[in-house]
Amino acid sequence: MNRAAILRGILGAALLIGAWEFCVRFFALPQWILPPPSGILATSWSARAALLPAAAMTAYEALSGYAIGAVLGVGLAMLLALAAPLRAVLLPMVVAVNSIPVAAYAPLALLWFGTGALSKIIMVAFIVGFTVFLNALDGLTRVDPAAIALLRSFGAGRLRLLWTLRLPASLPSIATGLRISTVRAMIVTLVTEMLGSQLGLGWTIFQAVLLIDFLQVWAAILVASIISLVFFGVVSAIERRVVFWR
Amino acid sequence: MLRAALPILLLFALWEAAVVGLAIDPFYLPSIRVVAAAMQAQSGSYLDAYLVTLAEAALGFAMGGLVGVASALLFTRLPMVKDMVLPIFIVSQTVPVIAFGAIVVLWFGNTLMAKAAIAFYLTFFPVTINTLAGIAAVDARQVALLRSFGAGPGAVMRKLLLPAALPRIFTALRLSASLALAGAIVGEWFGASRGVGAMLLAAMFNEQIVSLWASILVAAAVGGTLFAAVALAERAMVFWREEL
Repeated sequence: MNRAAILRGILGAALLIGAWEFCVRFFALPQWILPPPSGILATSWSARAALLPAAAMTAYEALSGYAIGAVLGVGLAMLLALAAPLRAVLLPMVVAVNSIPVAAYAPLALLWFGTGALSKIIMVAFIVGFTVFLNALDGLTRVDPAAIALLRSFGAGRLRLLWTLRLPASLPSIATGLRISTVRAMIVTLVTEMLGSQLGLGWTIFQAVLLIDFLQVWAAILVASIISLVFFGVVSAIERRVVFWR
Repeated sequence: MLRAALPILLLFALWEAAVVGLAIDPFYLPSIRVVAAAMQAQSGSYLDAYLVTLAEAALGFAMGGLVGVASALLFTRLPMVKDMVLPIFIVSQTVPVIAFGAIVVLWFGNTLMAKAAIAFYLTFFPVTINTLAGIAAVDARQVALLRSFGAGPGAVMRKLLLPAALPRIFTALRLSASLALAGAIVGEWFGASRGVGAMLLAAMFNEQIVSLWASILVAAAVGGTLFAAVALAERAMVFWREEL
């Protein structure tokens, strides 16, 4: 991306926010249609006593679920990379389950694990695990057959092959899975919180909708978006470090 | 067809075997026969939920697909606009867009349009991005060749860029199918009385595990329907691509 493109991007964002603020003021739009950006910022600040603990809870749930899911996903993928016959049976089933949206089985997690943080962490771990697993498996099994043959000819066994060839070769895929998962982790946390919880931004949003408190909805979305952006940015930065050859 | 049904049948068999073999508490996983019986007993209301949610998701999905492709074509023609708008799109992909579902419901009320709008914007972004990527991947020499034969920008778009981008567009559509469904379901949580999302919520609040599982199966059926529609369209339109 060159500098002119970056400048235009900033210009576009500034224009959008400016037009938003202008339209709201000029047409005197009621708050339920669209509150002005300045109003959303002001509410986020004045409601910080309520928003901060909720944000901390949401971040905690998303991060711990993410960590558990990432480890499980990569681990399972490595296991299945070693066992081709098992993979042929399990993979279509995993894909079938994965095509059911989270929203459909989130209520199940709430019934089983209650309205506390546990149900959210498990849901996030489940979804992140799926995403990372599918990406990692794709990378682990799409290695150049010539490279495998070469290592084999030097007497490398399956484990050796996994460690020295498949794992490094699959790092870009795994990193992609981890990057996509950051946003998914946040979405799943918010969606599960909306269904039922004691604390969290998703819960704040749901409550605010029921109370028809529009500024609060927008403020909670703003905070959730900032957490999501930071999370995504940090993981992307780590990805650029680790997968430096890409 | 058979290949798609096999994993599902296998999954059902595993489910039943696990319930019977491991004597799982029905509170966690009721037998699939019990779930099927419940669905049959109230087939009318489950069918209604299926149709309502399918209509919401499909409407938003179709609009999102069309607008997504159209805006990608517009961006290709007007790179200036693309530079200004695309970064906003990309950043918007990293925020939890589903949270905006709450606002959409506030705008439209509990209407079909509200859920379709949520499904629409969840579909729209991935399709735009993938269409752009597909168009960008077209060999510049092919464009030059067509140009040298006197093809205008419109003809290049219709005859080369769009067909070349089709495989990627369908990849995005397959991904978006389940996103559109998720959008419709979450949209129904904010006070809707009909649809799969409303059923899930009711089953959860009443702790009716059997009807919760039945609703999940209905959600899967809606997702499967959307998915099958995309796969059929793909086979008809991207006939040159080998079967996956």
